[in-house]
Amino acid sequence: MRAALLNLTLLEMKLFMRNYINMFFLLIFPMLMLLLFGGIFGNEPEAMFGGYGTVDISVPAYAGLIISVTGLMSLPLTLCQYREKKILKRFQATPLSPIYVVVSQISVHLIMTVAGMLLLFIVAKVVFDLQFVGRVLPVTAVFLFSTLSIFSLGFLVAAVAPNMRAATAIAYLIYFPMLFLTGATIPIELMPELMQKIAAVLPVTHVVKAMKAVWLGETAASVYPSLLILAGFMLVCLTLSLKFFRWE
Amino acid sequence: MIAVDALTVQYGELRAVDQVSFSVFEQEIFGIVGPNGAGKTSTVECIEGLRRAHSGKVSVSGLDPWKDRKKLYEVMGVQLQDTAYQDQVRVGEICALFSSLYRSPVPYGELLEIMQLSGKEKAFVSSLSGGQRQKLAIVLALIPNPRIAFLDELTTGLDPRARHQMWDLLLQLRERGLTIVLVSHYMDEVEAVCDRVAIMDRGRMPAVGSVSEVIGRFALHTEISFRSSLERTGGLEALPGVVSVGRKRNRITVQGRGDETVLAVLEHLRDRGIDYAALAVKPPDLEAVFLNLVGYSPSGESPRADEKEVR
Repeated sequence: MRAALLNLTLLEMKLFMRNYINMFFLLIFPMLMLLLFGGIFGNEPEAMFGGYGTVDISVPAYAGLIISVTGLMSLPLTLCQYREKKILKRFQATPLSPIYVVVSQISVHLIMTVAGMLLLFIVAKVVFDLQFVGRVLPVTAVFLFSTLSIFSLGFLVAAVAPNMRAATAIAYLIYFPMLFLTGATIPIELMPELMQKIAAVLPVTHVVKAMKAVWLGETAASVYPSLLILAGFMLVCLTLSLKFFRWE
Repeated sequence: MIAVDALTVQYGELRAVDQVSFSVFEQEIFGIVGPNGAGKTSTVECIEGLRRAHSGKVSVSGLDPWKDRKKLYEVMGVQLQDTAYQDQVRVGEICALFSSLYRSPVPYGELLEIMQLSGKEKAFVSSLSGGQRQKLAIVLALIPNPRIAFLDELTTGLDPRARHQMWDLLLQLRERGLTIVLVSHYMDEVEAVCDRVAIMDRGRMPAVGSVSEVIGRFALHTEISFRSSLERTGGLEALPGVVSVGRKRNRITVQGRGDETVLAVLEHLRDRGIDYAALAVKPPDLEAVFLNLVGYSPSGESPRADEKEVR
């Protein structure tokens, strides 16, 4: 069964990469944002950013952008489509449990999210001489944890959406605020107080906060509150998902 | 091979399948026909282990399809009603994936060849025609080298040639030792390929048997129809064995009991010198049984297939 799961995951990976809309929003779009804002503001040290440049603080924030694309768009839409097209049901009639279809989707999306982040990192390093003062291990851990917690929201969307059209509508409705109101693209500090309050309840805001803190090598204490919020959020989403998820 | 005993499926208040019992024998093609919503798919899904029965017993080569599901899927091939595939997947890729799910799969190259899909390995599934996609569904159902295959609405949406090809394939597969359960709402399909047939209607199964047994049991009428300018049909009504005479425009339809009526009508037409054209004799078929069972009477005032075209 392990061989079957591996084959399934490899195939799903190929299929993900054949979907050029996914690939654009995951790999190209964040890079274009980086080139655009990096091009406008450069990456000179700014007192306002504590001695870091615009690119230095944008790259960890863009993690929110990348995770949102895979977790809030691609993952829920793929799962919902597989249910609507009865692909999950078809796997039910094989020795492979359809749970593995879900597992393979999560694996593929996790791997692609990491790939998207790595590519952004490399471009920022080469083009803008990005400074990275954090440590690799904590940054990776926070990134993976953030990814999984956002995936749990994506999973909830797939669980509650009755069909593809509804899933698409819900996904867009969640995705766009996550792009613009969480500090992923526009720094939260520039927003009026009301918007900051709205931002505080969006999970990606806490992804951005945690990523920035760990990226800039701040103390663990400054990261934990965000991680705790994300953990609670994930627990709620997973509980609700399990309650509402249907195989067909 | 398959034994179903008093199977009941319930969706909330709705009883989709009600106390249905039948068996399917080794190496036969067993057809289940019925109108939409009759409970055909629910019945089959219980046998496939995809749905849990509310009550009743199902056994497939001695196994309980719900409890021994995973064991059963090694010997069972399934084609679901209108399944689709992942976007942008190639024929070869989906076949390779399915092969890796089973312990002793049939090399899929062979199956693609039987289904006239060889050379299509690199093609995207989305680029296949409807008929080719159904053939692919059969390939995937046969990859586990099953002893039983379930095919649900296999030829829906296919053109007549593709349907006849499918029927030939089914007969070939039976010769190779496969037992096939075919869900359909096409009577001609069932008459063409099935050894035995079950008719389902509103969750019940009022008739099971060979096609001729099922037709014979209902003692339905033979229908004789012809175009004629004949004004009064009183003479026809008086003929032996005639049950009813109807007229639709200039087409007269006589319902009668068996061959004696046919002869009597022909003699009557000849002896009286009545003009007639496009004479058709239609013995009772499965379609008539089916319409009779579901409460639609194809009497004189209901259109026949050949008249529909004229309108």
